[in-house]
Amino acid sequence: MIKRGLATAGIAAACGLVYASEPEPRFDAQVRPLLNQYCLQCHGENLQMGDLDLRTVSSMEKGGSQGPALVKGKAAESLLYQRVADHSMPQGEEKLEPEEIRLLAAWIDAGAPSDPLPVQADLEPAAVHLPSHWSFRPIRKPPVPSVRNRQWVQNPVDAFILSRLEENGIRPAAPADPGTLVRRLALVLTGLPPAWQESSRLPEGPGDPAYTRLVDELLGAPQYGERWARHWLDVVRYAESNGYERDGTKPHAWRYRDYVIDAFNRDKPFDRFLTEQLAGDEIEGTDAESQIATTFLRLGTWDDEPAEERQDRYEQLDDVLGTASSTFLGLTLRCARCHDHKFEPFSQEDYYRSLAFFEPLKRPKNLLKPRADLDRMVGTPEELERYRVATMNLEIQMENLQAEKKKLSRKIFDRLLSEGNSNRDLSWAHHAETVMAFRTPEERRTDEQKSLIRKFEERMDREILAAATAEEAERLRRWERELAQAKAEAPAEPPRAYVWYEDTPYPAATRVLLRGDPATPGDEVHPLVPTILGRPDLLSRLGPIEPTLDTSGRRRWLARWMTHPENPLVARVMANRIWQWVFGEGLVATENDFGVAGDAPSHPRLLDYLASEFIDSGWSVKHLIRLLAGSSTFAQSSAWNPQAAGVDDNNRLHWRWQPRRLEAEAVRDSMLAVSGSLNHSMHGPSMFPRIPDSVLAGQSMPGLNWGEPDPEQNLRRSIYIFVKRSLAVPELELLDSPDTTSSCEQRRVSTTGPQALTFLNGDFAHEQARRLARRVMRATGEERDNQVRGAFRMGLSRGPSPEELEAALDFLRVQEAQIRQDLTGTETIPVIRERALQSFCLTLLNTNEFFYLN
Amino acid sequence: MRSEPQRFQPGNGLRLTPCGRTRREFLWEAGGGFAGTALTFLLAQDGFFGKTLHAAPGKSPALDHGAPHFPPQARACIFLFMYGGPSQMDLWDPKPELNKRDGQPMPNLNADPLLKLRKNRLGGLMGTPFSFRKWGESGIEVSELFPHQAECVDEMAVFRGTYADSFAHGSGLLQMNTGFLRQGHPSLGSWVTYGLGSENRNLPAYVVMVDHRGGPISGPPNWSSGFMPASYQGTQLRSEGDPILFLKPQEGVTPAQQSHQLRLLSRLNRMRGSAGPENSELMARIASYELAFRMQQSAPEAVDLARESKATRRLYGLEDPETEKFGRKCLIARRLVERGVRFIQVYSGGGHGDDTWDAHGNVVKNHTLHCRQTDLPIAGLLKDLKSRGLLESTLVVWAGEFGRTPTSQRGKGRDHSPRGFTTWMAGGGIRGGQVIGATDDFGYEAVEDKVHVHDLHATILHLMGLDHELLTYFHGGREMSLTDVHGQVIRKALA
Repeated sequence: MIKRGLATAGIAAACGLVYASEPEPRFDAQVRPLLNQYCLQCHGENLQMGDLDLRTVSSMEKGGSQGPALVKGKAAESLLYQRVADHSMPQGEEKLEPEEIRLLAAWIDAGAPSDPLPVQADLEPAAVHLPSHWSFRPIRKPPVPSVRNRQWVQNPVDAFILSRLEENGIRPAAPADPGTLVRRLALVLTGLPPAWQESSRLPEGPGDPAYTRLVDELLGAPQYGERWARHWLDVVRYAESNGYERDGTKPHAWRYRDYVIDAFNRDKPFDRFLTEQLAGDEIEGTDAESQIATTFLRLGTWDDEPAEERQDRYEQLDDVLGTASSTFLGLTLRCARCHDHKFEPFSQEDYYRSLAFFEPLKRPKNLLKPRADLDRMVGTPEELERYRVATMNLEIQMENLQAEKKKLSRKIFDRLLSEGNSNRDLSWAHHAETVMAFRTPEERRTDEQKSLIRKFEERMDREILAAATAEEAERLRRWERELAQAKAEAPAEPPRAYVWYEDTPYPAATRVLLRGDPATPGDEVHPLVPTILGRPDLLSRLGPIEPTLDTSGRRRWLARWMTHPENPLVARVMANRIWQWVFGEGLVATENDFGVAGDAPSHPRLLDYLASEFIDSGWSVKHLIRLLAGSSTFAQSSAWNPQAAGVDDNNRLHWRWQPRRLEAEAVRDSMLAVSGSLNHSMHGPSMFPRIPDSVLAGQSMPGLNWGEPDPEQNLRRSIYIFVKRSLAVPELELLDSPDTTSSCEQRRVSTTGPQALTFLNGDFAHEQARRLARRVMRATGEERDNQVRGAFRMGLSRGPSPEELEAALDFLRVQEAQIRQDLTGTETIPVIRERALQSFCLTLLNTNEFFYLN
Repeated sequence: MRSEPQRFQPGNGLRLTPCGRTRREFLWEAGGGFAGTALTFLLAQDGFFGKTLHAAPGKSPALDHGAPHFPPQARACIFLFMYGGPSQMDLWDPKPELNKRDGQPMPNLNADPLLKLRKNRLGGLMGTPFSFRKWGESGIEVSELFPHQAECVDEMAVFRGTYADSFAHGSGLLQMNTGFLRQGHPSLGSWVTYGLGSENRNLPAYVVMVDHRGGPISGPPNWSSGFMPASYQGTQLRSEGDPILFLKPQEGVTPAQQSHQLRLLSRLNRMRGSAGPENSELMARIASYELAFRMQQSAPEAVDLARESKATRRLYGLEDPETEKFGRKCLIARRLVERGVRFIQVYSGGGHGDDTWDAHGNVVKNHTLHCRQTDLPIAGLLKDLKSRGLLESTLVVWAGEFGRTPTSQRGKGRDHSPRGFTTWMAGGGIRGGQVIGATDDFGYEAVEDKVHVHDLHATILHLMGLDHELLTYFHGGREMSLTDVHGQVIRKALA
C-alpha cells in the first residue's frame, strides 16, 4: 500500500486521490485454495454430495440437504466450519491443519467476503476527493442554455452549439440545399447514396415532418446496421485471421460481425451491448447471441508459434485489456504495462489489477492441433445440455441397434457356413482365411483379417440378408429403419462461435510484472478498476465479485461497473463516438483518449448533456442519432465564412458542415450502388473479392486461406469482405482501411498516386463504370444531354449545372472522336458511343464529390 | 529521467494528434509518403498553402517536411533481405574451433533456455565444409561461397555480433523490419519515409521487391506503415511485367483518352472547389491523378533495363539465368536510387523451405544455391554504385532475420538461431573494411561488440540524418518510435 502510494504520489496528489486499504483474510488467495484442496472433489463441479456445492459464497449460503453451510459473520454457526473443526470432514485421511481451520473461521467471522475487493468500505467518506480531471468526474446533465436566435434551435443540441457560436459572434451557415442534405443523411446513416427517384419531393430540412420520417426510415433500414457496425468494428480491431506467420483463420468470427450489425439495427441498449461483449458467457440469461458477442475478446492478433510462451500470454491479455480500455473507457491504460503511466494517473499496479479481470481467460490451446484455434458450440446452458444429452442418447441407441444387428447377423453367418449344402454360392468366401477372418471377434482380428473383412463385408451382408428367414429379415430391416430414423431425428448442432472462455472460478493469481517482463513477477494483485476511478461509494454499491459456477465472474463485474450510470467515462466515450460518426470528429477529438493527455472537449456541457440523454434513453444509440441528425447544426451547408474562420478556423464550434472523405467501404459500396450492382443480401460467412496475382505474390503462400471469389457474393457490401490481417483488398487498403492490430478510433486520410491508379485503371472501378453507363442508357436513351443528366443524378444524386453539362458534352464529343481514332478494328458507332459514356461515368466516379461527404 | 524529447513534426506548424490526425493531416501525409513532395510541391506552386496555412508564410511545407535532424550521410538505403536466415559460420564468421570439434556435443547447451527447448532438433557441433580466406586491404575473412562480395569487403562494416530476439521466421522478420515482434508497427522504410519524404515526383518513396518464388512469411505486414497513414507503406514493385499495381490502363484505353478524362476530372473538380481548408485536400486529389498519369510513364521507365550497357548487365549477372532474377532487382534498385527513391528493400528467398535461406536439411546445398544466385549481383551493385559515385550517398544493408545454429540438424542442416549472426553495411557514412563484434568459439552467441536489431535500426536512421529517439509518432497514448526504448548508434561503424 505504502509503496504504491509513494510510487504514484505525484499523480495522486495532482488528481486528488485517496487510496484504500485491503482487509484480510482473502477469499481467492487463501480460502479458495483450501476448498479446492479439501472439499471440492465431493462438493464441486462434478459431484454435489448432499446437494452441497461449495464453489461460491452464494452456493455455500444456499447449502445442501442439511441446510446452509455458511452463516456470514458466524463461524461457530456455520456447518462448513463445524464439520472441518470436528474433523468429520473431509472424509478420508487428509484433514485440515489447525491454522487452516483458524483461517476459515476468521474468514467466516469477517463476513465471508467474496472476491477481492473492489469494495473499499473502510474508507472515510470525508476523505474522498473528486478527481480534478474532467472526464473522471461524474456526469451531470447541464441545463439547456438559452440563445438569441431561437428559431434556429430544433432541439437542445442546437442550443448548446448556438450559444457558443453567439458567444463568439459567429453566425451559423445557411441550411444545405435539400439534395445535399438528403445525400448527406443517407451516407451518414446507411453508407449508401440515396436512391435516385425522378419525381419525389425532397424534405426541406429538420423542421419538415418529411425529414423526420426520412431519418426514421433510414434508421429502420438494414443498411443502417451495416454502416454503423463497420464503425464499431474499427474500434474493436475486428479481423478474421490471427496475424503472424500463418495468419490462420478465426473460425466463425463473422458471427460477431453479424451480431454487431443486428445490435445496431435493433438498437440494442448500449449497456447490454457492452456487457455481452465483455461477459456474455457469464451473465444471467447467457445464450448463443451473448456468447457470440464475447468474440470481442478474441479478435486480436496472436502468434501460434511464439518465441516465448509467457510473453505471448501477456501480449494476448494486453491486447484484450488495451482494447477494452480504449473502446469503452477511452483510456490509454496499456501504457502502464512496464512502468507507471507517464502522463496519466495510472500506476503499473492499476494496469495489472485491471489485467486481473481478464487473467482467468484460458490460453487457447488445442492439444490435438496445437496451431488451431478454439471454436465452441454456443447456446443457453439448457440448449447445450439438451444437445449433449440428445447426442449421447442417440449414440447409445445406435450402439444398441448395431449390437443387436451384429448378433443376429452372426447367427445367420454361422448357419450359412455350417450348411455345407446350402444353395447359396459361397465359394468366394469359402477360402479358409476369409471365413476365419469373419469368425474372429472384431477386437482380435489381425491387420490382414481386417482388410479381408473390408473387402468382403458388403458382399457378406448381402448374403446374410439373403439367407435370413422371413422373420429375421424383417427384424434386420426394422433395425435399419430405426437406425435411419434415429439419425434423421438427431438434434441439430447448435451454432459454433469463436470465443475465449474460462473454465474455473479459481483463476491463477495475477502479479505485477516488473518492467512488464513475465520473467520477473512481483507482488500479487487482485482485480480492481484503476484507483483514480475507484469511487468507494460506487464500488461498495456494486458489491464483491461473485463467481459463477465455472467462471470467475470478474468480467461481468467489470461490465456492471462500466455500465453503472455513475461511471463517468463509458456514456461520455460512446456519446462522443456517436457524435464523431455523424459529424466526422468527436467533441473530444481524441476519441480513444479521454485521459489527461487527450484533447479537451470542444463543448463539455453538450457532451455531458448527450451522455446523460444516452443513459436516460436506456442507452439508445438511435435516440442520440435522431437528436444529432435532426438538428440545424447537422443541416448546415458547408459554405465557407471568412469571418467565422477568423475566429475558429478549424470549425471546432460547428459554424458549418465539415466535408470529409468517405471511408473506403462507403466508396466501394457507393460505386456498387450507383452502378446498380449492389447485392443487398445480409449476414453469413465472409466473401473474397478477386485480388490481383501481383498482390498475392507478396505472400509466402500466395492465396493461402483466401477463398474462391464468387461474382454474385462479391457484389455485397464491403462489411462482408473477409478481413485478413496479412492481405488487404487494394481498393480498401489504399483508401486507408483501418489497421486491425489495435483499436482504430479514426480513419486516416491519405492521398496517393496508387490510390488514383486503382480507381482509374483497376478492374473494380471499370466494371462499375461499365454498368453505370448501361444503366444510364437504359434509363435515358440515346440523347447525350439526357445521358449526362442521368449519370449525374445516378452518380451524384443531383443534376448537372449548365457548365458541368457543357463540360460533359464537350468531353463526350472529344472522347468519342479519340476512341474512333485509336481504334483499328471495325467497332460500330453504338459501341464507340457506349465506350465514351463509360469513360465519362468512370470520371464521374472519380470526382471529389463522389469521394466526399458534403 | 530523460528530458522530454522534442517531438518530430513533419511540416511546419502542423499539429499531430493521436492517430496523427487533424483536419489538415492530409497535407503532411500527402507530403510525406508516396511521391508526396510532388503533391505538396505542386500545391505550393498553385499557391494554396498561403491561404490555408498560417505558419511560415512564403515557405513551402514540402521543403520543411523531410528536414532531417542533422546532415545525412546517406540519401537512400538499399536493404538486401536474405529471408530464411543465412548461416554465419558458413559465410562470414570463420570458426576453427567449431571445425575442430565437428561431431562433438555442444557444451553448455542447457545454458540457453530457448535452445534447450529445441534440443530434440539439434545434433552435435557441425563445422563448415567451406574454406575462408582473407580479402582486400582489410584482410577480412570471407567464405568461398561469396567470391564476389569478398572483393568488396573494404567497403563493408561486417557485424559479426548481431543478435535478435526470435527463433521463428514470422516474428524474426517483423523485428528486423519493424523493430517489434508483434505485428502492427511501421516498418523501417515507413519511418524513413515519414522522416524524410521523397525526392521523386513520380515514383514511390519506399519500394519493396519480393523474390520471384514468393513473398516472405507474414507478407505485407513486413512493409506496412502500421499505425501510420497508408502513404508511408512500402509499394511492391515487380521487376517484370507491370511494375506497380494497376499501372496499366484497361485494354483499349490510350494515353490520349486518359488525358481527356483527367482534364474533365480536373474541370469538374475545380467547379466544385471549396474556399475552406478542405480545398487543399481536394486539390491534392486532383494532383494525385496527375501523378498517377505520370507514373504510368516513369515507373515502367525506371524498371526498363533495355538501355543499360552490356557491361553493366554483365556486372549484375543478367546474362546468366542463375543470377538474372536477383540481378535485375539489384540493377533496378540502383536505377531507383538514381531517381530519388528513398528506401528500397530487395528480398532474396521467397515462400518456404529451400526456396529461402532456411537451411534445415542441407546447408551446403541450400546455401550454394542462394549464394550463387545473389553473390555476383550484390557485388555488382556495390561496384556499380561506387563507379557512379553513388555509393557514398547510398547505404547498402545485408541481413536476414537471424542466423543458424553451430549444431547440425537432420545431419546436414542447421536450425534457426538469433543469438549471434552476421550482417553488414556498406556505403553512405560507413567506414568500410572493418569487422565489428564477435561470436563465441562456436559462432553461437554474440559476445563482443554486440549489435542488436535495434542498434542496426538506430544506425540506419542516423546515417540518413534521423535521430531514432526524436523520430516519433504519437499513437495509442504515447510517442512510438522504431527502436522503442532501445537502440544505440554503432559509433565504430561510422566513417
